[in-house]
Amino acid sequence: MVKRNTIAAISTPIGAGGIGIVRVSGDDALDIVKKHIVLLNNKNNNEIIPRMAHLATFNAENFKEQCIVIFFKNPNSYTGENLVEIQCHGGVTIANGILKTLLNSGARLAEAGEFTKRAFLNGKISLDKAEGVMDMINAESESEVKAGYNLLNGELSKKVKTLQDNLTNLLAEIEVALDYPEHDIEEQTSEHVYNELLNIEKELNNVLKTSKTGLQIKNGTRIAIVGKPNVGKSSLMNALLNFDRAIVTNIQGTTRDVLEETYVYNGVKFVLIDTAGVRESTDIIEQMGIEKSLKSINSADVILFVVDSSSELTKEDLDICNKVSDKNTILVVNKTDLPSKIDLSKLQFKHQIKLSALTKANIDDLKQLIYNLVINSEVLQSNLIITNERQIEAIRNALTDLNYAKEGIKLNNSLDLISIDLNNLWNTLGEITGTTSNEEIINKIFSNFCVGK
Amino acid sequence: MEYDVIVIGSGHAGCEACLATARMGLKTLLLTLNLDSIAFLACNPNIGGTAKGQLVSEIDALGGEIGVNADKCTIQRKMLNSSKGPAVQSLRAQTDKVMYHTEMKKTLENCKNLFIKQAEASEILVKDNCVYGVKTAQGETYISKAVIVCTGVYLKARIITGEYINDCGPNGFAAANYLTKSLMDLGFTVRRFKTGTPVRVHGKTIDYSVLEEQLGEDNIQNFSFITKKSPKNKIKCYLTYTNEETHKIILDNLDRAPMYSGVITGLGPRYCPSIETKVVRFKDKERHQLFLEPEALTTNEVYIQGFSTSMPVEIQEKMVHSLKGLEHAHIMRDAYAIEYDCIDSTELYPTLESKNISGLYFAGQVNGTSGYEEAAAQGIMAGINSALKIKGKEPVVLKRNEAYIGVLIDDLTTKGTNEPYRMMTSRAEYRLILRQDNADLRLTELGYKIGLATKQRYNIFLKRKNNINELLTKMEKILSPANKSLQMLFEEANETLPKSGIKAKDVLKRSNINFEMFEKYFNEFSDYPTDVKKQVEIECKYEGYLTRQDVAIDQAKRQESIVIPSEIDYNKIKGLRIEAQQKLSDIRPFNIGQASRISGVSPADIAVLTVYIKTMNKK
Repeated sequence: MVKRNTIAAISTPIGAGGIGIVRVSGDDALDIVKKHIVLLNNKNNNEIIPRMAHLATFNAENFKEQCIVIFFKNPNSYTGENLVEIQCHGGVTIANGILKTLLNSGARLAEAGEFTKRAFLNGKISLDKAEGVMDMINAESESEVKAGYNLLNGELSKKVKTLQDNLTNLLAEIEVALDYPEHDIEEQTSEHVYNELLNIEKELNNVLKTSKTGLQIKNGTRIAIVGKPNVGKSSLMNALLNFDRAIVTNIQGTTRDVLEETYVYNGVKFVLIDTAGVRESTDIIEQMGIEKSLKSINSADVILFVVDSSSELTKEDLDICNKVSDKNTILVVNKTDLPSKIDLSKLQFKHQIKLSALTKANIDDLKQLIYNLVINSEVLQSNLIITNERQIEAIRNALTDLNYAKEGIKLNNSLDLISIDLNNLWNTLGEITGTTSNEEIINKIFSNFCVGK
Repeated sequence: MEYDVIVIGSGHAGCEACLATARMGLKTLLLTLNLDSIAFLACNPNIGGTAKGQLVSEIDALGGEIGVNADKCTIQRKMLNSSKGPAVQSLRAQTDKVMYHTEMKKTLENCKNLFIKQAEASEILVKDNCVYGVKTAQGETYISKAVIVCTGVYLKARIITGEYINDCGPNGFAAANYLTKSLMDLGFTVRRFKTGTPVRVHGKTIDYSVLEEQLGEDNIQNFSFITKKSPKNKIKCYLTYTNEETHKIILDNLDRAPMYSGVITGLGPRYCPSIETKVVRFKDKERHQLFLEPEALTTNEVYIQGFSTSMPVEIQEKMVHSLKGLEHAHIMRDAYAIEYDCIDSTELYPTLESKNISGLYFAGQVNGTSGYEEAAAQGIMAGINSALKIKGKEPVVLKRNEAYIGVLIDDLTTKGTNEPYRMMTSRAEYRLILRQDNADLRLTELGYKIGLATKQRYNIFLKRKNNINELLTKMEKILSPANKSLQMLFEEANETLPKSGIKAKDVLKRSNINFEMFEKYFNEFSDYPTDVKKQVEIECKYEGYLTRQDVAIDQAKRQESIVIPSEIDYNKIKGLRIEAQQKLSDIRPFNIGQASRISGVSPADIAVLTVYIKTMNKK
């Protein structure tokens, strides 16, 4: 059985914000909340009307808070269960206090995504939609919400269904000739099938293209800051974050571990990775830090290779240059506030920027440059971005099936063999659209062709 | 009188059912309305065809009779789709319908443990939800441990030709008028289906000289793996077409067509429409092709395939005379539509046993199918499973990746059908594996194990299997590009010679090289029977596709392996939509794979059900 116990959680993001919302869902949701509230205007607690906003005082363990209480009666709620929303003032303390009070009187803290899971288990949303909501829960930036939201609307499903329908027609045309070989039906040519496949392939590739941006939006674009010691990597990180996160000293090897922080630019999340300066070192701890730095070069989407313009290039700079030259790298020439001594002719990078982390000159230009480098703005403007691993996997599998079919045609195999891969392709697309019954193809055969004895 | 099994009906399902139980050693009674209707080919005079040919060879591989009998009575045959891949090649044979009946009757009469009786079953005897016998209209009671209902289209049958309606079965045979009530009393859902048959004309009144000939093919596979002498082509078929005038006659007289005047209410099949339906639904089509097929060597009657109708006789005359070559044709038997009662196949387990009454099985058109081959396939499975049950052994349920028979019965018991169900290759998701040429390799071992396939058949199978394995091993041999024979072969085939050594089996993957060419240059591979070489050629040539089908089968198996506990109460699973709750409660699937194929159960329902079963198992 689905566990019917009552869960509670703070539904708004922790941190700043004008209001906070605490949600309680389950059979006992209303009873638990009632224990702690007094309705205003001398109304009795039994007068709570579903879907009406009630002003009430919440008696938390250490404070009283004026809030709005809304009750959604099952099954007409997001989760399909009894659900109460308590809207209170913003800030961590108030929402936390309310939650704690509820947890002490019969509710259990919800696990991540549990509200959506219940909605799904109670048949309120489909798997496709549930995955969209799951993504939205974890959405930390605007674009991510957009991607999650489109999935919720079934955009992907709609798009893929169109492709699947094209394939249904194609398969019906092939299958009817196989099942009714003696009927005078015009047989499909391999060329026609091949051309249709090219169209489907193009569309699938377009969807897949969005997934790269989609995943970067979802997980954040990873930017590694690398350079030899004391070129100002930590200062650059602080400048990009606009607050002091990294300790900045003029002592070489200050940053011994890899620091990670995120910032949001144009609604997109970026993860900054400050690395230990790469140099020959005898300090074991520093060596470990350097090793990690080298690893993060490989896992990063973008590398900021920092050099100090106020001093001449050294062998260490050139060693690092070799390591990052084949990567998606931006050469950052730091310390432009000091007189320039550097000769940049040995460092050839497609993307290059001069700035001062100290004075923050050109920092915004750098942010824009990074953004342009990783975000395909065309994709971002389109109304379909896929971020879900399962769906990306399904599309990749579909492309594999499609390639087998194309190869088969090139090898001059007969269409009944090609149709094996086309049927696999059809079923793989069905994993996204939810249509997996071959009755559809058979129905098409009978509605489009005059066959039979 | 006491028997182990009683089979009601002697059509294609009934014949296979009673032969299976009798051959498995059970004392069997076959009740038939008319001994002259045993294995009667009531509609077209042919056996096999796309997907149906596969069914026939599968039944044969298990130890059934339809393949043997069809080979005996074949008067012309063709391998359909012979220009296409091996998966969709199917044998279709014109059979002598007189001989088909007499030969099958002879086989039944000579079968040990089998007793044939002409009588009308009127009541199925049931106590405590267990079947114990059959009562006949003649007043006799026969006791048995199992009953198999194979009543075909005879339950409350009526035939319709224009305004003329007659309460009888096909060809004027008497209808079965009592059994429907007994089934309804037992709680079965009874439905009304419809099908039809075209006119039969006198062959001597057809002007064949103006028509296109349709010849048979030689040197092709038999239906049966134990047929020693391949049948010869003895007749010609002919092709003609409807024309503008035919269509005008039909459209002018639509108000007299029972299909359109509302006389016929039964559900007819989409794949076997009457000519009036074709003309109305596909207005753009200028002509429809019609095949003229002789019905037997001992008669001049000719069947007009594609010309099924229920128009009044005078209109039928006009329609026939509008056809090229049939201007003066004499109609010997009128076309008619036939309506009959059938049950809802979702009320059966995949063993074809009733979910509510133990020991009661159903097979054939009474389950809502169409076609001799589909009927025979169910007949043999109902026979096998009733026999196994009586012997206290595990039932046999063929999977979708094992046989078309498995696809057929899974579709019937999982999805059900709203029209007479016809097998098609497009219904089988693993059709490259379910080929006609390898039916014995898939099923004969099983048939022998359950005591149905004979020792003789098993030995033929073993010899073939060993030969195939031996040759397949040989095909692993690596041939050097320096090999003169290889160079000559590649030159003849106009293929590029590989730079390094190539396995013999990979040579066959080249699109321009087949086994025949290959063995010309490498005669150490040629010392095997043709059918063995063909198997090996298919295995080598299509290895990539076969591997991909295997992967798909493995994926499906994972779903099939999640067993749904029989005591599950779908109404208590909150996440399921009400429609899914109802469908699942009705069908009671055995596993998640079967559940996912039920119409009205969505992928989201399946996810909920899977989660539910997993949490259930945890407790």
